[in-house]
Amino acid sequence: MKRLGAIAAAAVLVLAGALAGCRGADSTGTTDASGIKTDIGVTKEPCPSAIDKAKGCIYLGTISDLSVGPFFPLAVPITNAQKAFWNRVNKAGGIGGKEIDVTTYVKDNKYNPQTHNEVYQEIKGKVLALAQTLGSPTTAAILGDLKANNIVAVPASWTSLWAFEDVILESGANYCIESMNAIDYAKGAKPTIKSVMAVHYAGDYGDDAAAGAKYGAEKLGLTFTDVKTDPGAANQAGAIAQILTAKPDLIILTTAPTEAAVIVGGIGAQAQTTGYAPQVIGTSPTWNPALNASAAAPAFAALYLQSGPWQTWGANTPGHQAMRAALGTPSPLVDGYTAGWVWSYPLKAALEKAAANKDLTRAGLLAAAKSLTSVDYEGMLPSGAGNYAGGADGGVVRSTVISKPDKAAPTGVTEVLPPTVGPTAQGFKLEKACYTPA
Amino acid sequence: MTEAVQILSRGLGIGSVYALLALGFVIIYKSTRVISFAQPAFMLAGAVLATYLVIPLGFFAAVPLAALGTAALALGVERVAVRPMVGRPAFTVAIITLGVDVVVRVFASAFIGIELRQVRDPWGLKSTIIFGTEVQQRHIAMLVTTAVIVAALYAFFRFTRMGLAMRAAAYDQEAAMAQGISVGAVFAMSWAIAGALAAVGGVFAATGGGSVEQTLWIIALVALPVIILGGLDSLLGAVLGGLMVGVLQELVAQYQQYFPEWMGGNISVITPYVVMLLVLLVRPYGLFGTREVERV
Repeated sequence: MKRLGAIAAAAVLVLAGALAGCRGADSTGTTDASGIKTDIGVTKEPCPSAIDKAKGCIYLGTISDLSVGPFFPLAVPITNAQKAFWNRVNKAGGIGGKEIDVTTYVKDNKYNPQTHNEVYQEIKGKVLALAQTLGSPTTAAILGDLKANNIVAVPASWTSLWAFEDVILESGANYCIESMNAIDYAKGAKPTIKSVMAVHYAGDYGDDAAAGAKYGAEKLGLTFTDVKTDPGAANQAGAIAQILTAKPDLIILTTAPTEAAVIVGGIGAQAQTTGYAPQVIGTSPTWNPALNASAAAPAFAALYLQSGPWQTWGANTPGHQAMRAALGTPSPLVDGYTAGWVWSYPLKAALEKAAANKDLTRAGLLAAAKSLTSVDYEGMLPSGAGNYAGGADGGVVRSTVISKPDKAAPTGVTEVLPPTVGPTAQGFKLEKACYTPA
Repeated sequence: MTEAVQILSRGLGIGSVYALLALGFVIIYKSTRVISFAQPAFMLAGAVLATYLVIPLGFFAAVPLAALGTAALALGVERVAVRPMVGRPAFTVAIITLGVDVVVRVFASAFIGIELRQVRDPWGLKSTIIFGTEVQQRHIAMLVTTAVIVAALYAFFRFTRMGLAMRAAAYDQEAAMAQGISVGAVFAMSWAIAGALAAVGGVFAATGGGSVEQTLWIIALVALPVIILGGLDSLLGAVLGGLMVGVLQELVAQYQQYFPEWMGGNISVITPYVVMLLVLLVRPYGLFGTREVERV
């Protein structure tokens, strides 16, 4: 009898636990005074720092590299730009009679997938969606859970896998397409290029770019070699040795700025005797304007170009102007601000559509996001961008901007090629992710 | 020939950084019989301090001042966290230094911010021709600076009263105390010297286009196999071990592309540890360490 009692008590506990666990994914929700259905992460109470205390609050989470990871110098500006973006939305009246809070649930992932998952678990029961999930391997660590709970998330990364995930609201050309455009541009500018080497981190970031570089090189009949390198300034001797041995004409570099400095500087240091001066094109997160002040600056000026999914800070689109008006002149000025700002538009569009549909539940937001056929990026991306209803190949943005180091420019680079779709990227069918984690 | 000279110059350059860090480990060990795991933090703190001082003062004033500042920091740490533990087991004190390392690194990292902080050394990536081969000036500067520092340390230990006191305390603490030597002062001085050496090593590690970032301290971990290789209580071993490891690492880095793929792309990173294991199999006290005789 005693045993039966214990079993019954355990069963009650398990059931209670299961119910509590399910509460996070409850899709029934409540309906507010304006007739909008809500469930998790949306409150009738105002946001902690509300502009209008009469409005309710939509809580969005942020998981970023805020302290020790390799993208920390970019991640902090990204996060600050997103705060400014949503503050602008709130000043304009909010969405669905509610303001948006992106400051209460901000977590540091240290660019570690396990940490990312841990902090995600801490906030996932309190937010409607994620305003930022930084990094490809880190976001991959929570992807299954995002899908299971209908949580829409804005990635701070550009891996091609995101085009296949409904819960991910990506923006701009992915690394894979960016590399194709970089190779098309380099070959057009220097027809003598015969060989391409991708030097990159392993994983969703570097391997995605390398896959695009391989595809682009093969399409143009160029030889291709692939060199993986580890993060850390002290770990680049092997990559430099491989570059100097193979002497490729074009290098697609997909690392963080520290590794870029050591690798480009390492090539430049020997250029005098070897005469070897390749074209190096860095994928967007590879750049930091401080490189213009580093010892490697002459090598960057001589060898380096920067590819990116959109125009830099100083461009003159309405979106860029709004961003500059909202952010002033931050210091140091990096294009992390531009990225954070651009990435926020699709979530704003999805929230507006969900509010118009009177359904700000997680499922309602996901349905709204999936049905978007375009997003108003205020000119920061080409018209037609943000077609999440168009499928991976139909919706993917294919334009890339190429810039060169310029000490006088606000973010250390000036544009040499405006947003352009190269012939390789134009003909490319995105039928599966260029790189999928094993 | 060209390749050999370049490998040698790069290896001796980075080996000099290892040697400076290893010297700090050995100096503290000799005087206190404790391995201080706080050296990586002092390396980072010194380099960060140099990035702040270099803007108003220039590189050649900033580095000695950063070394002095780090020495003062190490002195403070020794007085507050280590001195009260005198007489406790060496293992306990070593663990405390591990805690000190984390605390100092967290504070030093806070001063890095989101800018890439650079030491703005005058050599940059400029090269000079030696034996008909292009050699980076910074590697020569590292080697020359290390040689000068080692010579100064030799003179200090050989010709000054404090140096003599430190040697005496290293040989036999109780006998030294009986002769009126302040062992506390010896401890403090050893920590200060180690801090200063780590700062110089940190600055050199951040030259060449790189920047002072939060992960810079990882380089200091290579000093651990260096001191085991050279001998835990041998200053000569620390210097030669550091240079040897630097050259070997560069040699492996140059040719690792021909190694089997399953070995990974950066086998040069583990070279110091492999060499350490091999040497320990043959000489358990390192190449220049003192063979200990214990009653069993």
